[in-house]
Amino acid sequence: MKRRTCSILASIGLAFAAAAPGARAADEVNLFAWSEYIPQSVIDGFTAQTGIKVNYETFSSGEEMMAKVLSGGTSYDVVQPPDYIAEALIHAGLLQKLDQSRIPHISNILPEFLHLPHDPTQSYTVPYMTGTVGIVVNTQVVTTPVRGYRDVFQASHAGRIVVLNDNREMVTWALYTLGIRPNDLTPANIERARPVLAEWLKLVRVFDSDSPKTSLLNGDVDLGVVWSGEAAILFQQDPKFHYVIPAEGTNRFVDVLAIPTNAGHVAAAHKFIDYVLQPEVSKQISDAFPYTNPNGAARKLLSPQQLANPASYPSTGPLDTFRAIGNASATIDELVTDLKNSR
Amino acid sequence: MAPMLVWLVLFAVLPLGILGIYSFCQRDDIGRVVFAFSWESYGRVFDPRYLHILVRSLGYASLTTLLCLVLGYPAAYYIARRPERLRQRLLLLVMVPFWTSFLIRTYAWIQILKGHGLFNTVLQSLHILAAPVDWLYTPTAVMIGLVYSFLPFMMLPIFASAEKLDGDLLEAARDLGAGPVRVFSSVAIPLTRSGIAAGIILVFVPAIGMFAVTDLLGGAQVPLIGNVIQNQFLQARNWPFGAALGVVFTLLFAISYGLLQRTPKWERT
Repeated sequence: MKRRTCSILASIGLAFAAAAPGARAADEVNLFAWSEYIPQSVIDGFTAQTGIKVNYETFSSGEEMMAKVLSGGTSYDVVQPPDYIAEALIHAGLLQKLDQSRIPHISNILPEFLHLPHDPTQSYTVPYMTGTVGIVVNTQVVTTPVRGYRDVFQASHAGRIVVLNDNREMVTWALYTLGIRPNDLTPANIERARPVLAEWLKLVRVFDSDSPKTSLLNGDVDLGVVWSGEAAILFQQDPKFHYVIPAEGTNRFVDVLAIPTNAGHVAAAHKFIDYVLQPEVSKQISDAFPYTNPNGAARKLLSPQQLANPASYPSTGPLDTFRAIGNASATIDELVTDLKNSR
Repeated sequence: MAPMLVWLVLFAVLPLGILGIYSFCQRDDIGRVVFAFSWESYGRVFDPRYLHILVRSLGYASLTTLLCLVLGYPAAYYIARRPERLRQRLLLLVMVPFWTSFLIRTYAWIQILKGHGLFNTVLQSLHILAAPVDWLYTPTAVMIGLVYSFLPFMMLPIFASAEKLDGDLLEAARDLGAGPVRVFSSVAIPLTRSGIAAGIILVFVPAIGMFAVTDLLGGAQVPLIGNVIQNQFLQARNWPFGAALGVVFTLLFAISYGLLQRTPKWERT
């Protein structure tokens, strides 16, 4: 509700802002970002410091975000795509090169989060927050060890599982158990995921990308595969919720900030991006949404408890990130629709 | 007449035309619409898996309509036959839910239906249930959500036609020896037929395309046609296919509506 209504309200707000007579165009920035990802304090702080009004519109999946950017209905000034969507937007010429002189605080970003495959020259994007996809277990109910996807999707957990309602993620998990890399999304490989997913999806009770923590907190399900930030919030509320990096492998996602080619307020957009890169501001984001913060200077401001949250800062080796996949997304959608349909 | 025509063109003909054009287009690698002619999307619409989803959606929508009619008719009829002041107040109660966002009301149902929610707690404390039952994320929850959402759309047109119902006709039927059941079935129902028909259309058509309720209360387990179409415009970014589904859908409705409007011969006499 929160996400969707917020997004609806924000759209209405945006419509009013656009229609408001006498609104000075130079004094605002149209932000298009994930729901539950940018604290209100950051937006208010930016407006207080710069006098620039922020029109905040939200989305709840990278695919949805891209659909709206491609449809070209609104001209956004700052967008917050996940890595692989950013890559596709760069290739399509829809993002503009950032003026590096106007974002000096990018030096706060840890080197491991720079020059990643989606933006190898680091010219178009700035990392916002990163995270992993992993398993969350209510250890009060599930007492058997859960180490990987295969342990989650067991008949004994039938009807007690929540997963992200994200088709590409689901296919990727199946591929990991088959030893296939997440970006090898050839039609043949997607087809190999079919029998695995067909068994898994029968056991799932809830498909939810917006707020998978809700069904876990309500006790309607006992374990699931979710965003690390959701798991981190669950762990903060009750340490019985354990986060596990799947043994078969998982991907890391990097959500970035970028400026579309058709942005109307380029200077304000740069100001907003640089504001978010400041350590004190970035810390506020970690406080509200405990994903993995790529900002080294901000991490120094975090409490030991925050840094010890295993969902926010898991100990892992290097992880894959998603790459742009083009037409495979249609094939994946067809597969998952088919499997859900024949449950 | 002219304003009506402009209204129709702007809000009905033009969007449908755009939908029609898109449905014959193709998508490029990242999901933009390419204006190159193709039948491909229509080929996929008639793929058995989508027909299966359509049939299931028709099933859900039919059951929703039936339940709304069974629950809504007596209530609407009762309200319509009350004295003026009471009638207005009762009608207001039917409208009150509309003052809150539909999504917020659906989220309220999550709180009611969840494992340790209101519903199970009440049923258990009344000793009707021994252990909590899983209501949420089941087809039952979806049906509850659908009937709840659309009940007012059934009641309002029935109310409107029942309010206009001439009380003298009911009295005449009683005077001529008809029992209450007979008065209701032979006089009241036929005379409120237009309200029933409007209610059925107002419930059935949106119920078939609903996607939020299946996502939120059904846990997005089983896709209905509304979910599939929504997916094409956001997740899968296959607008031509989504448009083709929309076009086929619209035609299906237009045809069935046309058939419904042809009054059967036996009713004309």
